[in-house]
Amino acid sequence: MTKTATTSLQRKRARETHVAAAVFLAPVVVLLAVFIFYPIFDTFHISTFKWNGIDANPVFIGLGNWAALLKDGAFWIAFRNNITIMVCSILVQIPLGLAMATFLDFGGTKKLNVFKILWFIPLLMSSVAIGFLFTYALATNGGIVSTISRFLGGKNIDLLGNPRLALFTVIMVIAWQFTPFYMVYCMAAYTNIPMEVFEASIIDGATKPQYFRHIALPLLMPSLKSAAILSMVGSLKYFDLIYVMTGGGPGTSTELMATYMYKQSFKNFNMGYGSAVAAGMFLLITCMALATMRLINQKEG
Amino acid sequence: MKRTHVTVLGKRALAVALGVVCAVGLAACGSGSGSGAAATTAASGGGQTAAAPAPGGGDDKTIEFWHIATEGGHKVKVEAAIEKFNSTTQSGYKVVGVPIQNDTYKEKLVIAMSSGECPDAYVSWSGGPMNEYINSGFARELDALFDATPNKDKYLEGALAQGRLDGKLYGIPYHNTSISGVFYNTEIFAKYGLEEPKTLEDLEKICDTLLENDIIPFALANGSKWTGSMYFMSLAARKGGLEPFQKAVAGEGTFEDAAFIYAGEKIQEWVKKGYFPEGVNSLSEDDGQAKQLMYQEAAGMLLCGSWYTGTFSDDSKEFYAKVNWFSFPEITGSGADPKIQIGTVGDQFISMNCDGDKLKAAVEFATIFSDDDMIQVGIDNGTVPPFKGVVDQLTDPCTVKIMQAAADAPEIQLWYDQYLPPAVATAHLDGSQEIFGLTKTPEQAAKMMQDAMAKYNSESK
Repeated sequence: MTKTATTSLQRKRARETHVAAAVFLAPVVVLLAVFIFYPIFDTFHISTFKWNGIDANPVFIGLGNWAALLKDGAFWIAFRNNITIMVCSILVQIPLGLAMATFLDFGGTKKLNVFKILWFIPLLMSSVAIGFLFTYALATNGGIVSTISRFLGGKNIDLLGNPRLALFTVIMVIAWQFTPFYMVYCMAAYTNIPMEVFEASIIDGATKPQYFRHIALPLLMPSLKSAAILSMVGSLKYFDLIYVMTGGGPGTSTELMATYMYKQSFKNFNMGYGSAVAAGMFLLITCMALATMRLINQKEG
Repeated sequence: MKRTHVTVLGKRALAVALGVVCAVGLAACGSGSGSGAAATTAASGGGQTAAAPAPGGGDDKTIEFWHIATEGGHKVKVEAAIEKFNSTTQSGYKVVGVPIQNDTYKEKLVIAMSSGECPDAYVSWSGGPMNEYINSGFARELDALFDATPNKDKYLEGALAQGRLDGKLYGIPYHNTSISGVFYNTEIFAKYGLEEPKTLEDLEKICDTLLENDIIPFALANGSKWTGSMYFMSLAARKGGLEPFQKAVAGEGTFEDAAFIYAGEKIQEWVKKGYFPEGVNSLSEDDGQAKQLMYQEAAGMLLCGSWYTGTFSDDSKEFYAKVNWFSFPEITGSGADPKIQIGTVGDQFISMNCDGDKLKAAVEFATIFSDDDMIQVGIDNGTVPPFKGVVDQLTDPCTVKIMQAAADAPEIQLWYDQYLPPAVATAHLDGSQEIFGLTKTPEQAAKMMQDAMAKYNSESK
């Protein structure tokens, strides 16, 4: 008797929880549906049309755009550029961010507040502002880099106009922009390491490098892994800074999937194909993110 | 312990997955917005865009006019015209101007069109993009209404020609005349005893003299791509006239024609000799990095559109007094008419997306720019409105010279990147930038352009 009463009470409580959950989640679900899921679905839908973006009568061409996309050298060059940015971003930004966070953590936060603030500033600037800033700084015509080089008796240095250097130049600027983010990320991870762990290791006679190598780093690893995935996804969908600084040029040397999508959709009046590029990006990024996560999970096990 | 660990990882996986979705969702938005729009248009009825409802519904006695006159003399002129129309018209309509930054104008227009919010009147540069608007039903044929306006005979035929498609008028020219040519610093020329060149060899000698004296021959900021295209167009037109281009566009010829290869080879020869600034492909025209070289007197010449008269005089009257202009010199023995010019007569055309009385009122508004007082506003602000008799009213020597060249031209070809279908224009701009970067041979760039043209021609048939 009492047992059934409890069960029904439990059921009631569970039901109420569900209702509450539904009420609280509804706004988010509606927003996601309208602004995320519908556009994604529609991107795939449009990718089956030949459409200039304004005509009222798009022409259905089935998988025509997709077949063209698979054979489109320019898209795969853009994808390769994305991969280059991704690899370099992970290899530069995260170790650098970790180093900066370690420096701040070991040095005692109060004393080094100046560094913390200085290093954080790039993250506060908008990408477009950073883009303009560096376009001027890197200009051969009186930019700071060339001016310094000439002052030291060298020649003008053309970092953005040279197709072999342009991509790496942009990667450095992106690193300048995002390393502070990983610094903050790692600082947060450091604060999650209990003080007792640090004290215990010091009492056991560990030096700072030993503490970092054998205690802190393993404890930071989960955070670093998610940082890597964040960096990966961010690099694959990158757009704004490249658009401002190089517009994908010279030639195709800094063309990314997102800038290529933009060019096709808006410059070339090729909205159908642009959507195929966007949808292709979606598939590639999702697959790569899922594969990476699976890889990480396996290693965990 | 193990279990909680898995849950944490699971949650993180979910978070990251959501992150991915958001990221790509945002990326997709660009095209997504267009598509949502398509649905709206389709829903609002019957495929044809004829009766796209006025934005916001409300007052349909208002003509919404999108333009890019956000600053300087252009702004003064457009505001004066709107003011004049609104205070004098008998049509019962009123024009409301919507100024939009040039940089994002085309994208905004595309989005407005695809979401059924196309303005009643809007400016374009004619050519490829205007043809897209026309073919998608966002521009009305204006011949009958235009012929009924009192000022119709004041328009230059060349200007109206650039507002037509298949012999029908869709865009009414209103703003400026711009042809490409070479501006030069007269003080630098005088200092080294140089004179305006008659032939390409003369021009190259001038360049060599400037180089010997550590002056960059040509100020060029080719990060913007269309700036370098000016050299390509000029060289190709002087080598082969306009026939190779017109044939290539019609699908009867090819962009791999000798004239285009010559233009590419000449540019690369000049790049190797150092006729252009270092890092030419990274300098940005929008940031004024070409004109800065002129102002610093680090460069002697600048080949660009003749709107530069306005740019120079706006920036510094003192500098403008030192500047003179010559038409791109002939290539000896090429047989091409050296009087041919490249440029635009009209430089912005007003197209209409409305019907009935409103369309009539909109045409009345668009032709108000040809009233004498409006022409005077344009001239006072350093432009050359595309109307008959304007040349006689000009006093500025540089502008007079330019307009004489335009008047003498048997043909004026619209800029390639405006005239060509957009996808071909992109191929041309990318290819010519790579020519300047020495990363593609002229033949490779020509093939890229020809492939895009052939693809367009085969799809539109």
